[in-house]
Amino acid sequence: MGNIEELKAMVDLKNGQIDRRIFWEDWIYQLELEKLFAKSWLFVAHESQVKNTGDFITTYMGQDNVIVTRHKDGAIHVFTNSCTHRGNRICFADRGKARQFTCNYHGWAFGTNGDLLGMHEEEHYKGHIDKSKNGLQNARVETYKGLVFACFDDEAPSLEDFLGDYRWYLDIILDQTEEGTEFLGGCIKNMYNANWKFGAENFIGDSLHVGWTHASGAKAVSMGHEVPEYMPVDPSSFHANANGHGWEGGIDGVGTLELISSGNPRLVEYFEQQRQSMAKRLGDLRARKIYGSVISATVFPNFSFLPGINTMRTWLPKGPRQFELRAWTMVNKNMPDDIREIVQNACAMTFSPSGIFEMDDGENWENATLANEGVVTRKQHLHYGLRVGTSHRDDPELPGNISRPMYSDVNQLAFYQRWVDFLTAESWDDIPKVR
Amino acid sequence: MTSTDTQQIDTENMLLWHRVNQFYNQEARALDEEDYATWFTMLADDIHYWMPARESMFRKDETPDSTTNMNHYNESLQSLQLRVARLHSGAAWAEDPRTRYRHLITNLEVELSDVEGEVNVRSNTLVYRNRLEREEYWLLAKREDILRVTEGSFKVAKRKITPDFSSLLSKNLNVFL
Ligand code: FES
Ligand SMILES: [Fe+2]
Repeated sequence: MGNIEELKAMVDLKNGQIDRRIFWEDWIYQLELEKLFAKSWLFVAHESQVKNTGDFITTYMGQDNVIVTRHKDGAIHVFTNSCTHRGNRICFADRGKARQFTCNYHGWAFGTNGDLLGMHEEEHYKGHIDKSKNGLQNARVETYKGLVFACFDDEAPSLEDFLGDYRWYLDIILDQTEEGTEFLGGCIKNMYNANWKFGAENFIGDSLHVGWTHASGAKAVSMGHEVPEYMPVDPSSFHANANGHGWEGGIDGVGTLELISSGNPRLVEYFEQQRQSMAKRLGDLRARKIYGSVISATVFPNFSFLPGINTMRTWLPKGPRQFELRAWTMVNKNMPDDIREIVQNACAMTFSPSGIFEMDDGENWENATLANEGVVTRKQHLHYGLRVGTSHRDDPELPGNISRPMYSDVNQLAFYQRWVDFLTAESWDDIPKVR
Repeated sequence: MTSTDTQQIDTENMLLWHRVNQFYNQEARALDEEDYATWFTMLADDIHYWMPARESMFRKDETPDSTTNMNHYNESLQSLQLRVARLHSGAAWAEDPRTRYRHLITNLEVELSDVEGEVNVRSNTLVYRNRLEREEYWLLAKREDILRVTEGSFKVAKRKITPDFSSLLSKNLNVFL
């Protein structure tokens, strides 16, 4: 085990330098599982995925496989997917409907709240087991406007405190309408041979890769015409971060809409119409200027999304050099079918494993990870020094820490600041409530 | 039916099977060689090219595939062309050097459709991708096609690709099946 001081030195926030070992070393990865994934609130599902009693999905919190399910009391439960008898996994489906989960090995049965209900040939156990002490480990569960989060640590603050000022930004996608949002059915999963943080930090603030990595996608979308300026050049475009969660984007209100609606006036028309009711809920700044711009965002540590393109995704760690991406498309419940279809197809066309934008990201993250197998290569630190120290908390219109324009490493450094906070903390007292 | 009639039907079926097989081999070669100009001539203008994402479900929970769930592909000819335009943009850095592709098409079952001028074809496909030093990916899928008979050849009017993976075990899906 490396020590805390060593870890702190690896993330030099003042000078914007990061030690490559954080993307490579096994001991650091094990610390991430213990001190970050087992402590933090983590996105696990959208409420629409577990709408009715018995609906379940399975996912991961760190590398702990969990079942997310709607119990008959109406509450959502999240518990470990591993039998308390010999540890076999109890549910092997990605999603479905269940009254209980019965282990394949010796037939122990667990309720949709994780309680041990009984077992095959139960008479042998008479007087030998207290069933109430052998249920599955439940995580804390809280929701924010349709998104379900879970946390394995009783000491953690509430989800609301954990999200803090960032809720103002989340509302831009979650609170556009009275009816709220839902995920389309199914899920797209794919595997990267890369460190999970590359996905998270890319979405939290990497505006500078867009014009270059995704030049091919932008050219394709413009179909031989001059490539429009999707990325805001506007000096008021911004990086915003709060408690390690980040949002980068413009305030021109058009970049993303142009991208997904190219050649489709129906969508533009629909969004213009929507903005009016959106403005009543969220105000002009968020409804007309922020929403619709090129934006990407990460909820610390590993949940990211693209407002407007509507991909919602989680980077599930599988070791220091591998992660699985699980992605869904989110829509407003009241969206008409034809708009839904346009949004769904635009999301698959741009940001999915076959998407003309996303396709180029994986190559970068995999090679940025793999290069560190070289011991000499690994010793050279990485440059995260763009506009270091320029963020401030007193922006007249935007909450959180703000730096303008959006071309900077400010959000990435805020992410790594939070990462160090968690990895070096002995208890929640060591983790600042507000960052 | 006389035995000569049956023989003649057999011969016609064999000939049809042979022509479809030939068509698929040509298509596979076009895809291997990134010769999309040729590939597009093999697709009908109104093609629906669909590849749903799959999940592991308990048998009792299995539901029919639907395009309203998450898809890898749910394409028209125009959107397929848009995808290929990325590769031809001269800026697809992640495709240079090129990916080495190999498409194998097997288990061909050809059946005349009730619709005049169409044939229903099932096939399996095995796609191999190799890239740079250590990247090697295998994809297996079932294909269900409707081919439209044109002079001397066919056009793909509908293709449903059912992949045998639930989690795609690679960083992207830079390939058509
Ligand atoms: S391991 Fe689950 S019943 Fe024995
Ligand atoms: Fe990207």
